[in-house]
Amino acid sequence: MENNLWIKKALTLGTVFFLAVLLVKPIGVSTQFSVLSGIFHSALNETVITEDAERESGYRSTNPYYDKSDGKLARSIEHPWNYDFVFVLAIPFGGYLAYLANDKKRRSQMSDVDVTIPSTAKSDIRRYFPSFLGGFILLYGARMADGCTSGHMMSGMMQGSISGYIFAACVFAVAIPSALLVGRMPRRRD
Amino acid sequence: MQIVLAIILGTIFGAVLYWVGASSPKKLIAMLRLEDLTLMKIIVFAIGFASVLLSVFSLLGWFNIGHLSVKAMNLGVVIGGLLFGIGFGTVGTCPGTCVAAAGSGGAKKAISAILGGLFGAWLFSVTYGFWKNIGLFQTMDLGKLTLFQISEKYPAVFDIGYWDYLQSELSLWLLPHFYLLGNM
Repeated sequence: MENNLWIKKALTLGTVFFLAVLLVKPIGVSTQFSVLSGIFHSALNETVITEDAERESGYRSTNPYYDKSDGKLARSIEHPWNYDFVFVLAIPFGGYLAYLANDKKRRSQMSDVDVTIPSTAKSDIRRYFPSFLGGFILLYGARMADGCTSGHMMSGMMQGSISGYIFAACVFAVAIPSALLVGRMPRRRD
Repeated sequence: MQIVLAIILGTIFGAVLYWVGASSPKKLIAMLRLEDLTLMKIIVFAIGFASVLLSVFSLLGWFNIGHLSVKAMNLGVVIGGLLFGIGFGTVGTCPGTCVAAAGSGGAKKAISAILGGLFGAWLFSVTYGFWKNIGLFQTMDLGKLTLFQISEKYPAVFDIGYWDYLQSELSLWLLPHFYLLGNM
């Protein structure tokens, strides 16, 4: 039974990838980080994105990235309530529902509370800054590659896309040695 | 209608990411340290299964080819992927899984990663012009290339259609799995 559980999980995950592309479009997440950061950016600096009736998207930006593909991203930043943005907003809701559905024993197995180090030993900044920095590098890389694990690996490889396979190869070529290296570093005593 | 689908599909995706364990940095790190490859098996099997479904539905004419969206290949994919690997390997999260984790276990770390990600995405938006000017996206530019012919829109490495692809896919992806299952 336990041996077969991973297959059930795999078939379900695969069905979700397929349902998304069957009904709407391939799953993608990282673009929405650009959209949300662009919303803050354009709120702080109102001259970044301006309306332009001559364009199909209706918007023009002084930032070449928002302006790319005829101002497509500029439009998403000004009108974020579209399929892609709402899809990403719904993800933590789903995660929460699944978390609630788990019983307590499984929940503690799934949680990532660092039990080896007492919580008082680390200040908040030291505990959360690595995640912040990791997220920073992740999204800088993902935007440069124009996709992340969802868009390039899952959706891309599902469609037989060359860029998806090359992205996956590059990611694992660095991620595996980094994970091994971080594991070997001696734990600092606080 | 699209918004309703976005809510339904996003919710299911988030729940499934949590259920398979992909929202847990601990499990992702164990996978990357090659200590526990269960998650890897799940994801690779899922991609293959989705690909088979896609081929079958296309052959039957039940699939709208317009829904496909292939991303372009260029040097940005390589350098971006290498950078992505540093974050993925050290923190054990990726953009989709940290969003899923924000609603479940380890939420504070996940939210820290999301905030970092927003800064990273913003910094890329402001530095995009620089990368474009030095020709990052024009180098190794293969366009929206696919392995096999999925749509007239995209060029393909092998001039084979869905039917041939499905056969090679079934033999390359499904048979080894059945072989493994038989030995379990």
